Amino acid sequence: MPAGPLGYRRRSLWVYHFNSGGCNGCDIEFVAALTPRYDLERLGVQLVPSPRHADVLVVTGPITRMVMDALRTVYDQMPEPKLVIAFGTCACSGGIFADCYNIVGGADKVVPVNVKIPGCPARPGMLVKVLAKLYGVRERGQGAG
Amino acid sequence: MGRGRVEKEQVPVERLRESIASAMESGFSHLVTITCVDLGDGNLELVYHLSSLDGAVRHLSVRVGGKSPAVPSLAQLLPGSSFYERENRDLFGVRIEGDGSPGGRFILPDCYPESAPPPLLKSVSAAQVRELLESAACARDSYFSVGAPLSPESVVVPFGPYHPALKEPEHIALVVEGERIRKAFLRIGFVHRGIEKAAESRTFLRDVFLLERVCGICSTHHAWTFVEAVESLLGVEPPSRAAFLRTLIAELERIHSHALWLGLVGYWAGFETLFMWVWGLREAVMDILEDATGNRVHKSFVTIGGVRRDIPDEKVRGYARKLAEVGRGISTIMEEVLSNDQFVERTRGVGRYTLEQARKFCAVGPVRRAAGDPYDIRKIEPYGAYDKVDFPVAVTQEGDVLNLVKIRLEELLTSIQIISQLAEKLPSGNPVPARYFMGTVPEGEACARTEAPRGELFYYVKSDNKHNPYRVKIRTPTIPNIQLAASLLEGAMLSDLPLIVTSIDPCFSCMDRVLVIRDGSSHVLTFEELARMRGGAR
Repeated sequence: MPAGPLGYRRRSLWVYHFNSGGCNGCDIEFVAALTPRYDLERLGVQLVPSPRHADVLVVTGPITRMVMDALRTVYDQMPEPKLVIAFGTCACSGGIFADCYNIVGGADKVVPVNVKIPGCPARPGMLVKVLAKLYGVRERGQGAG
Repeated sequence: MGRGRVEKEQVPVERLRESIASAMESGFSHLVTITCVDLGDGNLELVYHLSSLDGAVRHLSVRVGGKSPAVPSLAQLLPGSSFYERENRDLFGVRIEGDGSPGGRFILPDCYPESAPPPLLKSVSAAQVRELLESAACARDSYFSVGAPLSPESVVVPFGPYHPALKEPEHIALVVEGERIRKAFLRIGFVHRGIEKAAESRTFLRDVFLLERVCGICSTHHAWTFVEAVESLLGVEPPSRAAFLRTLIAELERIHSHALWLGLVGYWAGFETLFMWVWGLREAVMDILEDATGNRVHKSFVTIGGVRRDIPDEKVRGYARKLAEVGRGISTIMEEVLSNDQFVERTRGVGRYTLEQARKFCAVGPVRRAAGDPYDIRKIEPYGAYDKVDFPVAVTQEGDVLNLVKIRLEELLTSIQIISQLAEKLPSGNPVPARYFMGTVPEGEACARTEAPRGELFYYVKSDNKHNPYRVKIRTPTIPNIQLAASLLEGAMLSDLPLIVTSIDPCFSCMDRVLVIRDGSSHVLTFEELARMRGGAR
């Protein structure tokens, strides 16, 4: 069995969503990815309420000074192996808010980021595509394994 | 009028409270917000915007100066003023006399030193604040402090900032006795980014894009309200086709916003099918928005002097036809939801409030209308094309979650009606300005209000003949509404909390502060102390 980025835990990816101070644009687009049009659950992806159950951490929004510590705590609570996806331009770099006084920057200032999905907001379809790739879905046909 | 140039009435600070009380008695009972402006000569100006229920607005202005500027608190007169005052205290260092509210930070991080200059003063640069925040020694923000007597049965349950029942970070400290919430203390500010400061350093055109990103749900309303204020400073009237198209996009936004809210309420009430169902329907609206403006969320459609692109007549008619289908879907949902006994029983009487409470906390939008005031800016102070269309304002007689669901369902159908009228009456002409606005804005102050999906959205803009604004003040609808929600939590069941908080449709681009209560003494606890308390004093 080929080892994916998550090694043996390559099947059903469980996702924890972390809003780090965003405008809600990316957050709503993230939730939209779970609803009937995009339906992430068909890939086995599930939104979990606790970081302790998650394989993937999705960060949306620029990191504000007040959520910095919380993000680190959430990341530390996730079991290995784990992945971090920065969803949206703000989570990638701070975006339009990069020079605001209460903003630390992108998620990579606080935790290691594996995948960056830019866009203001990023499209739900992109998240589906990235997660499908991580899960091992080939361009066409069924998943690997 | 609440729109256009601001005509202020100067009031001496010692007579402020009685002036406001007499204005309130003469019908100006709704405090829209308190704007603070640094005049640059060592004085601060506070403008109290008071609105009557039929659309008139009075602006009372107070000047304070000196080393430690202070104004009397209005909290006894109007409890809803508390958050506005605390915001000014944090951002401008205006001391509030006699408000009885907890000290400490409200919107800024706790580690921002008390002695540091308030960030929104003109003499302070964003880089300076940033540096202070980066060098501030705080490993953890302390969300807890202690303040009032607590019975031996009480337990403090920290809720958030990250919790499965919250979509956005916010912290509530709950004092719980058994399953009942006795007291709830709010700490917002997790999503405070410092947009008002950033807006002062960018040009008016770039500000449109920045302010749109205050909120990713009602983004067009933010851009529109700001542009409306700037246009009245410039003395520009947008073409009537532009007014119609702005109204069209704003109403589409209301549909998608109410739809996503309805889904979330269904979710928290344990009716997940409703969530999936409504969000499925909502995608049709998102497609229309993308087709019309080029993006699903941040549409950048409104620009100073008009709109950024024209939408052909036949397309608008096509949208109206598509929305009629969505409307049928919504009617089905309405029937289904309101005839579902489990859902009705789960939401009826939950988070109940009276008109008096709603007025006391200056609640706006659907939250106010559910209690019985037909307070809808679209009706009382028409902007855009709202005076050219005919629509009802949905009102119920008592606020609770069920009535809020009913009001928003009605409003979904109303928005669809409005759009079909817009499609019929769309005037011809060119709504796109010949070139983007790049010039300076003459000296002056203006304000504007719109009815965003969550309620009255207020902008105050002061310009001084430059390319960038001197001051931009934003009052989002959630600030007054969240105060009401926090008061409703007291006495509610713990399990109703997600439903009550969601019912006002919060959008936490705002701020807060939390207390734990014990022994009557007030003191800020760190996480470590709290951990010790839990281990030792059980």
